[in-house]
Amino acid sequence: MSEARTAPEVVALPGVVAGRPARRARVIRALGRTPVALIGAATVAAVILVALAAPVLAPHDPVAQIAKPLLPPGREYLAGTDEFGRDELSRLIYGARVSLYVGVLAVLFALGVGGTTGVVAGFRGGWVDDTAMRAMDMLLSMPPLVLAIAITAVLGPSLTNVMLAIGIVYSPTFARVARGPTLAVVQRPYIEAARAIGAPGLVIVLRHVLPNVAAPILVQATVSLSTAILTEAALSFLGLGTQPPTASWGLMLSASRQYMLIDPWIAVLPGLAIAVSVLGFNLLGDGLRDVLDPQMPSQ
Amino acid sequence: MRYLARRALWTVVALLGVSVLIFLLVRLLPGNIVDILAGTEGQLSREQRAAVLREFGLDRSVPVQYLLWMRGMLRGDLGWSFRSGQPVAELLASRLPITIELAVLTVLAVTLIGIPLGVLASVSRSIRVKTLVQIVGLLGLSLPSFWIAVLLIIAASHLFGWLPALIFVSPWSDPWVNLQQMFLPVLSLALGLSVVVVRMTRSSMLEVLGQDFIKVARAKGLSARAVLLRHALRNALIPIVTVLGLQMGYLLGGVVITEQIFGLPGLGWTLLNGVYQRDYPVVQATVMLFAVTFVLINLAVDLLYTYLDPRIRYE
Repeated sequence: MSEARTAPEVVALPGVVAGRPARRARVIRALGRTPVALIGAATVAAVILVALAAPVLAPHDPVAQIAKPLLPPGREYLAGTDEFGRDELSRLIYGARVSLYVGVLAVLFALGVGGTTGVVAGFRGGWVDDTAMRAMDMLLSMPPLVLAIAITAVLGPSLTNVMLAIGIVYSPTFARVARGPTLAVVQRPYIEAARAIGAPGLVIVLRHVLPNVAAPILVQATVSLSTAILTEAALSFLGLGTQPPTASWGLMLSASRQYMLIDPWIAVLPGLAIAVSVLGFNLLGDGLRDVLDPQMPSQ
Repeated sequence: MRYLARRALWTVVALLGVSVLIFLLVRLLPGNIVDILAGTEGQLSREQRAAVLREFGLDRSVPVQYLLWMRGMLRGDLGWSFRSGQPVAELLASRLPITIELAVLTVLAVTLIGIPLGVLASVSRSIRVKTLVQIVGLLGLSLPSFWIAVLLIIAASHLFGWLPALIFVSPWSDPWVNLQQMFLPVLSLALGLSVVVVRMTRSSMLEVLGQDFIKVARAKGLSARAVLLRHALRNALIPIVTVLGLQMGYLLGGVVITEQIFGLPGLGWTLLNGVYQRDYPVVQATVMLFAVTFVLINLAVDLLYTYLDPRIRYE
């Protein structure tokens, strides 16, 4: 019995022990050489930092009505004030929290549900594969934003529900991304060897399949973070996401529509914040794709 | 043919699955539909409640309700709007052309902007052009279309004193005014998409240009233009069409927001108003219509492959 547990490790040993740290160092070095990825990583780091340090960075309370409404950017209020006389800069800073919070949790949800489905489908094959992937395809038969709107309409508009809706919508993408490499790995002799030794399916998946699926999933997660942030902004813009008075970029942009001709600043700045963070994740994802999988064309 | 039959069958199955999903989603709604309806009319007596339930078929079991809904849909009967009492089918039929016009004009604009620029960018192999295309392409993916729309409105109003129209003019009554109304919405949707197409066109063209038959074409003395357009572009089109097809989901989603911003009373506008007013028959039917459109477009893209490349024979 103990043989069954130790043997797969022996099969995997050369790859794991010699490969992992060396590979990680290689990946980091390669990332450093790609300016695009570097800019992306720096932007993402900056957005995360702003979100984490929001209480320290923000000069004012983001929901306090403290000044005249619709002030242009000036010395006192660096980014001006919004239609209720709230400090625009503080709201932009706190908005990073909402975007990242919803984005990260939604992608984790999609990764958990979709990734697991994809790996199990690819590993088991047969009817499990057919049923699971067809179910995922059905979710893909609806335009993502329309499905997200339908889900938030049913669940009711709130931060948590937006997160859930985005998570559900992006699950099939992860299922597809995870299934491909799993199918390829399952054919390899070392999986057959592990099976022959009697290693349980779960062990094979965790030890031999997951490491092979990790790279494409990581790239997908980074790219999905950008679309998740965009979707949250879109839903909030439509009034189906974050609710006032919480500072959310999409909501701020939406509220600005009534005043944008008088005060263009409150329309320009939140959109810029969305664009910069989304661009950061896209650049990072693109760079990661180039480095992790040289065969995969970066479109 | 066998492939086509399988593909068509799967399309039907997928749509059936989607219809069950949408149906169940609407049944999950918090609160009783009768209470939502009664919200506008005050308190209802027990008999009135029962009457309302019967009128909307809500006293039947859930599977029966689903079958009734499906039967109605196949007959073109999508139920009545909770709010206006208008038949939903009639409502959607009047809104659909606006969305189709918006989508078709956008795809047209994307093709006209994206493919020529992509071909131009493929002629140069310099690293600067490559980086530029990559960065601009990512920008196109990153700028929210609703922000572009807002910026365009601000710019147009400051420069030309233009304002979003209050009343939609159909192309049948006044095509010129209609095109003016469509210009900014189409532009806001097309800008982001066309840079994606530029990027795809360029990389696809570069791949084709590196192949032997291009060398042959050049060697036999064809003009650069003929090689580029007749030999290279035709072969490079497949990945470009794929990307355009993949972007349709984004486009159909973008249509919802764009219609809302510019006040175009199309399907997206109808969907959102249905959601805001909790008009579930309208929401249910509109989401279904979006799904049908999306699935049919994907099918069309698949069929287009065989036309573009006769070498592709599905079995």
